[in-house]
Amino acid sequence: MGSKLAEKKRKSRESDSDSDDELANGLFDGVLSQSEDEEDYIPSDDADEDEDVDDSGSEGTEGSEDNEEDDGILSDDIPSDVDEEEEMNKLVKQQGELEITEPGVDPKPKEDVDEEGKNYRIERDANGGLRYVYDEIDPVYDSDDTDAQGPVNTIGNIPLSFYDSYPHIGYDINGKKIMRPATGDALQSLLDSIEVPKGWTGLTDVNTGNPLNLSQEELELVRRVQMGLLPDDLQDPYPDTVEWFTSKEEKMPLSSAPEPKRRFIPSKNEAKQIMKLVRAIREGRILPYKPPEEREREEEEKEEAHFDLWQNEEPQAPNPMHIPAPKLPPPGYDLSYNPPEEYLPTKEEREAWENADPEEREKEYLPQKYNALRKVPAYGSLVKERFERCMDLYLAPRVRKNRLNIDPNSLLPKLPSPSELKPFPTVVQTIFRGHEGRVRSVAIDPTGVALATGGDDGTVRVWELLTGRQVWSVKLSSDEPVNTVRWRPTKDSFILAAAAGEDIFLMVPTHASVTPALDQASREILAAGFGYATNGQQQALPAGKEPPAKWARPGTKLEDEGVLIRITVRATVKVINWHRRGDHFATVSPTGQRSSVAIHTLSKHLTQIPFRKLSGLAQTAAFHPLRPLFFVATQRTIRCYDLQKLELVKVVQPGAKWISSFDIHPGGDNLIVGSYDKRLLWHDLDLSNRPYKTMRFHGEAIRQVRYHKGGLPLFADASDDGTLQIFHGKVPNDQLENPTIVPVKMLKGHKVVSKLGVLDIDWHPREPWCVSAGADGTARLWM
Amino acid sequence: MGKIKKRGQAGQAKNYITRTQAIKKLQISLPDFRKLCIWKGIYPREPRNRKKVSKSATASTTFYYTKDIQYLLHEPLLQKFREQKVLEKKISRALGRGDVSDAARLERNAAHPEKTGKPRYTLNHVIRERYPTFIDALRDLDDCLSMLFLFANLPSTTAVPAKMIARCERLCLEFQHYLIVSHSLRKSFLSIKGIYYQANIQGEDILWLVPYKFNQRIVGDIDFRIMGTFVEFYMTLLGFVNYRLYTSVGLKYPPKFDQLKDDQGAELGAFSLEGANLATNGETKAITNGEAEHGPDPKVQAQVDKLVQQLRDESNGEKADDESPAGEADGEDKPSDAIDKFEPVAPGGDVLPQPSDSSSDPSQLFSKFTFYLSRETPRQPLEFILRAFGCKRIGWDSVLGEGAFTTDESDPSITHQIVDRPVVRAAMSGEGDGEDNQTAQKLGPNHRYPGRVYVQPQWVWDSVNDEELKSPELYAPGAALPPHLSPFVKPTQGQYDPTIPLEEQQTEGEAIEAELEDANQEGEGSEVENDMDVASEVEDEEEEEGEDGDFGGFSEEEEYEEEESEEAEESATLQRQRELEAEISGKSVPGNNKKVDAKTKAKLEAKKALERKKRQEAEDLERAKGMLSKKKRKLFEQMQYTNNKKSAEDMKLQQKRRRLEKEKKA
Repeated sequence: MGSKLAEKKRKSRESDSDSDDELANGLFDGVLSQSEDEEDYIPSDDADEDEDVDDSGSEGTEGSEDNEEDDGILSDDIPSDVDEEEEMNKLVKQQGELEITEPGVDPKPKEDVDEEGKNYRIERDANGGLRYVYDEIDPVYDSDDTDAQGPVNTIGNIPLSFYDSYPHIGYDINGKKIMRPATGDALQSLLDSIEVPKGWTGLTDVNTGNPLNLSQEELELVRRVQMGLLPDDLQDPYPDTVEWFTSKEEKMPLSSAPEPKRRFIPSKNEAKQIMKLVRAIREGRILPYKPPEEREREEEEKEEAHFDLWQNEEPQAPNPMHIPAPKLPPPGYDLSYNPPEEYLPTKEEREAWENADPEEREKEYLPQKYNALRKVPAYGSLVKERFERCMDLYLAPRVRKNRLNIDPNSLLPKLPSPSELKPFPTVVQTIFRGHEGRVRSVAIDPTGVALATGGDDGTVRVWELLTGRQVWSVKLSSDEPVNTVRWRPTKDSFILAAAAGEDIFLMVPTHASVTPALDQASREILAAGFGYATNGQQQALPAGKEPPAKWARPGTKLEDEGVLIRITVRATVKVINWHRRGDHFATVSPTGQRSSVAIHTLSKHLTQIPFRKLSGLAQTAAFHPLRPLFFVATQRTIRCYDLQKLELVKVVQPGAKWISSFDIHPGGDNLIVGSYDKRLLWHDLDLSNRPYKTMRFHGEAIRQVRYHKGGLPLFADASDDGTLQIFHGKVPNDQLENPTIVPVKMLKGHKVVSKLGVLDIDWHPREPWCVSAGADGTARLWM
Repeated sequence: MGKIKKRGQAGQAKNYITRTQAIKKLQISLPDFRKLCIWKGIYPREPRNRKKVSKSATASTTFYYTKDIQYLLHEPLLQKFREQKVLEKKISRALGRGDVSDAARLERNAAHPEKTGKPRYTLNHVIRERYPTFIDALRDLDDCLSMLFLFANLPSTTAVPAKMIARCERLCLEFQHYLIVSHSLRKSFLSIKGIYYQANIQGEDILWLVPYKFNQRIVGDIDFRIMGTFVEFYMTLLGFVNYRLYTSVGLKYPPKFDQLKDDQGAELGAFSLEGANLATNGETKAITNGEAEHGPDPKVQAQVDKLVQQLRDESNGEKADDESPAGEADGEDKPSDAIDKFEPVAPGGDVLPQPSDSSSDPSQLFSKFTFYLSRETPRQPLEFILRAFGCKRIGWDSVLGEGAFTTDESDPSITHQIVDRPVVRAAMSGEGDGEDNQTAQKLGPNHRYPGRVYVQPQWVWDSVNDEELKSPELYAPGAALPPHLSPFVKPTQGQYDPTIPLEEQQTEGEAIEAELEDANQEGEGSEVENDMDVASEVEDEEEEEGEDGDFGGFSEEEEYEEEESEEAEESATLQRQRELEAEISGKSVPGNNKKVDAKTKAKLEAKKALERKKRQEAEDLERAKGMLSKKKRKLFEQMQYTNNKKSAEDMKLQQKRRRLEKEKKA
């Protein structure tokens, strides 16, 4: 029953739209017809009508009243709409009513149609009024009225949602609202979904809002389209082919020519093709078919075929640029599955390892101990390690690094032990005070008992070496400092040479050790040249030229003190160096330009200037201790001259910027050079012009360097930083061995006064003692 | 005036080429280039000056020698790569067109080298190029073997096809067979990473690592394509090496391979070696247990019985030295091609070393025994190592696979059984019998056969490494094993060696220190020591500072002397103080204390002397260092640094050992 009822309801809804329109038509029939009359009909009719109206108007008020009534109804258009809606709702809700109205609807259009134009007939209605009955319109092909039936979408291309708040959707051709199809309430839609009518799709027609139902044929069509079949069932998509030409056998031949010979003899071309194949097969270019598995197997075997690859091997010299990959280190004790227990990490080590970044770990594993082989697990990162090794092999740049696999101690030089190096001076023994201002120069006499010093105060003082007592003093100059003092190096005399300004003084100081005989001998040596000098000089020099030096007696006052000779040269003398025999001494006055180096002969009171020209400022000069050689140091180089042949023998280039002093080893083959640029350089004269060792242990300029002349392998330098450095410098007897140089002592004690420290040093002739002259006005004996 | 030189036209810039440039020059893809480099053994170089070398503004990372790349240009493989690329392009184009059949045809053709298809390449020529002589190849075999043994144990994946794994395994087993036949395995080591083996082939030491038989964990991003390229090369290499090795010992290569046996897990047993000239000897040299085939041969049985008897005698306690077969002693007079021993007749001549022809050949270490491997032992390594050292008869439980001499545990010919299971103590613990084998019988469910030596696997390895049979008591089941030591570590002078007792390798100072610690000194001694340490450190620093330019002389000595004298005074005053206190309190000076004092005093004195000496040495060193040139000094310091680091590690180990020993004592 229920289903039937639902069906009915659905039917009624289907017919809703139709009935609505019809209803509307029916209900407002008059209005409709009138409006149609007024608006749509042709003017001629209109005029007629107007006339009629006029007529009626002129006839009486009734007609006008009618009109008014009509107007009123017209004006009530909207309320009527409301009514209409209500009515419609009612209709939807109450089917009974619907059913009632339906029969009532049907006749009305008929009446309407009947009433229309020529194709109408006029009848009388029930009230006796005129009634136009129109002919039925036959919707033939030509008829315009193709879409007359059925509600159409008239709203145009606008969304349906615009009408959501209205009961209608658009307007029909007559300007009437096209009512929205009624939607069932929830229950109804539920029922609908349960009982599906034929063709029900559940969709809504977008245009009209009606439920979209499809007929059986339409569904079939959709299905066929979906399946990709022809939409029409009628055609056969695969008709049998009709063999157009060969289906019929022709009786007559096309040509009557006899069959050619070539049909009977074998083809040459084919034979050629076949031979080609045969050849290919013979040559093995074409192989007989084999199933793929078999073929694969065979190929594999072929691939794995091995032979002696190194049958005729010939070793090649390895490419020098090729670096073979280093092998992985062999496993150590800690990699054992059962290592000695000391290899196991402690708790802290384990934690440290675990907390460390994997890349920062020193080892990528932790030593582990398992008490049985069966407990050893797989090593987690084995594949990874192998992979990394692969990456290293092909991606890591290889660099050959020479690792010295030697004991580092073999690099160290073999040094004599400190006990072997002794003796050398270590402490200050005596301080000689007395000079005002700097002490410029010191010298110990050849016997080793007396010390001579010269200072800024222009005095030369002689001291008892061990006690530090001053025994003799003479003031040579009031304004010029005594730049240098040097003893005559022979023991048969007691002669001191000192230079103050441009004057060189030779003196015989009084000292406890000087016996009268010695004193007498010394005085004789000095006096011996007087007669000789005058003769010689006057002969040698032309009258116009000034002699290089004047030898004279210094005056009675000084002569009383013991100063016996004064030699005046052209420029300030800075350096005096005696020849080993004591007959000659060289002086250097750096400012003296051409006459900067002079050689004085004591026995002849003769002064010679050996160099006409010197390249650079002469700094110092010295005689070779054994051979007749003479060394002159300019700022950069030291030149060695042969005094007999009068030629240049050697140029030593220490590489220093400004040489301050040098000294020749008593053996005669080595040389030390001190420079103002803080360097101390050892030269092996046989070896090279360049220094053998460069020592830079001083913070300030080096003023003086000095070898020990009494057989001890020592040398020392004095620097402006107030220190003396004592070196052990042993020159081996063997020519092939290199000298050993060991720094042994740094003697500190002198104060630095206005950036000057130690100005001069001298060694004791026998003992490992040395004396230094300081800018602080003292001289010190170190032992 | 010369032409102005442009940058990058000569010199280093021309000698090096970046990777991108190289690829462009060779016109191949990066993966192909990688393959080529791996096979041809071309590796990047580190230029002396990167800036001079790189032509572009951006820093390149990888440089190759231009010559190397030029050399690659003529490589025949390069052409193959290009052909392969062309083919791939064709196939992909066909697939793009949707023409599957065409693609399939191309692919199929590819398998046909005679038609223009897939380029078939072999690496033979590359191997010959890279290793002009066989020795060169042997020298480079370490990585090859490690890699192939690893791959033989990998699970098959798409990146590692099963075929490759199977081939690796075959090659490895063939190589192992050679080692067994030639007795060239020397050493082996059980590490946590796997088992290291060292063989000596034609004078070349080859060391490789075999992982334990577990499924390998693959962690991190590992590119198996790269590994695969290496493996491809190594497989070819090992194939040729195997061929050469087999032919060198008169065997045919490849050996006969029994697929059926292999499927049953026979591994080594799946191969049967044949002589090279089959016509002459014909018989197959079955490395695998020949006895199993001609089973109850009375001769063999008699021999075995004799051996068993011998072994029993041995195990009964006489460690007889008659390991040499009796026949050798008899055969002295027979003429042989062995080297004669030269004995000096008269004293005074130089001793010339001769290769020892000792009777105890390590390669025949296990030749007289029959082994039985229990279920829980690793069969493959044990089988390999036992066979390599002369063992002919190895039996194992049938679950371990095919190829055993016997699977019957109760076989009476078995002399040694290798077990690796915990000892389950039976509830009944009767009279304690010292004899190991007898107690073993009573131990739980593990039934023990009398007359058989039960050992743990480590016994085999330790015996092999020491080239002598170790005492089996130490390795009895359930016993705490002695540490397993790496045979590859060469003991060097002054380095820590765990095999030597601690006392023998510590220096005098360390010994004294240890003793002092042992004596449990009161805080004073150690304090003094600490102070001294600090002092010496400070001194070190000072000296280092002094190094820079000037030297310091030897003035420190006196200070130390003073210090020491002060110390002596201090101790004297302390002693007096104590005496005074004792007097006041009315007790005698505690003699006990004094005795200890005297003892420790001597030690302290020794220590002091030692320290003085040390200081002296340090001083000398500093002095000598002062005389070195700057370059040499730096070198020296670097060496010193590494040495110190090593010795620090050694010290740590020694300390740990000392502590452990003390704990053991306590």
